[in-house]
Amino acid sequence: MEKSEKPPLERREEAGMTVVVKTVTRLTVGLIFLYGWYIVVHGHLTPGGGFVGGIILALSFVHLTLAFGRDAAEATLPARVTGLVEGLGALLFVGIALLGFLGGVFFRNFLPKGEPFALFSAGIVPPANIAICLKVGAGLFSVFLALVFFRFDWERRK
Amino acid sequence: MTQYFLCFVLFCVGLYGMLAKRNLVKIILGLVVAEAAVNLLFVLVAYRTGAFAPIVEAGGGPTRMVDPLPHALVLTAIVIGLATTALMIAIAMRIYAHYGTYDIEEVRELKG
Repeated sequence: MEKSEKPPLERREEAGMTVVVKTVTRLTVGLIFLYGWYIVVHGHLTPGGGFVGGIILALSFVHLTLAFGRDAAEATLPARVTGLVEGLGALLFVGIALLGFLGGVFFRNFLPKGEPFALFSAGIVPPANIAICLKVGAGLFSVFLALVFFRFDWERRK
Repeated sequence: MTQYFLCFVLFCVGLYGMLAKRNLVKIILGLVVAEAAVNLLFVLVAYRTGAFAPIVEAGGGPTRMVDPLPHALVLTAIVIGLATTALMIAIAMRIYAHYGTYDIEEVRELKG
């Protein structure tokens, strides 16, 4: 295995893609983020839900990482915070399920059901959707981060 | 019937990518395409003409929904597909770090 061809040193201002990609990313990434939250919050009314919305949220951060490089990704959402959010989502979901024991059964709906087809309705389904969104989004993004932060030997040596 | 046939063609495209290509990244992409074809087959099986998404809406009842069971199955399959894809990419990166190539013809030594 030849080591003579080292990739050029990655300078900070030149990390990421061209200025066209960066500008378009700056314009669109907020919209993608908001759309993800829309899908999550309307999970009990329209197709979608916590899983799909979480994927879209994670993809907005993936978009940011691809356009601006891994240093920008670490500045926006460090890997430690991603792990914390993932754990928080899992604990929140289990907590919601365990709170069902207030009514006697696991996963029992303890919140008022509200008016059908209203945004604030359907009992524990919207909070559970948000918990799933945190778990799935942070999980997918941390998988991506683990692959992005992988350093080859010649990168580590420089 | 046509859509099932096209779904099968898509699966064969993925299979061709897995069997005929020598680049590890292309093999992984072939597997992803084949996986997508299988998921598509499940969604096609669930489809019913004139039915709506499997959510209780103001107008529609359970009689006018597409079958929700394959959708749940496909959701699980997508998650597992994500995990296996990430694992395959990680292994491919380790192979690249070790051998300096993605070509499976050149990755021959089993030890070292």
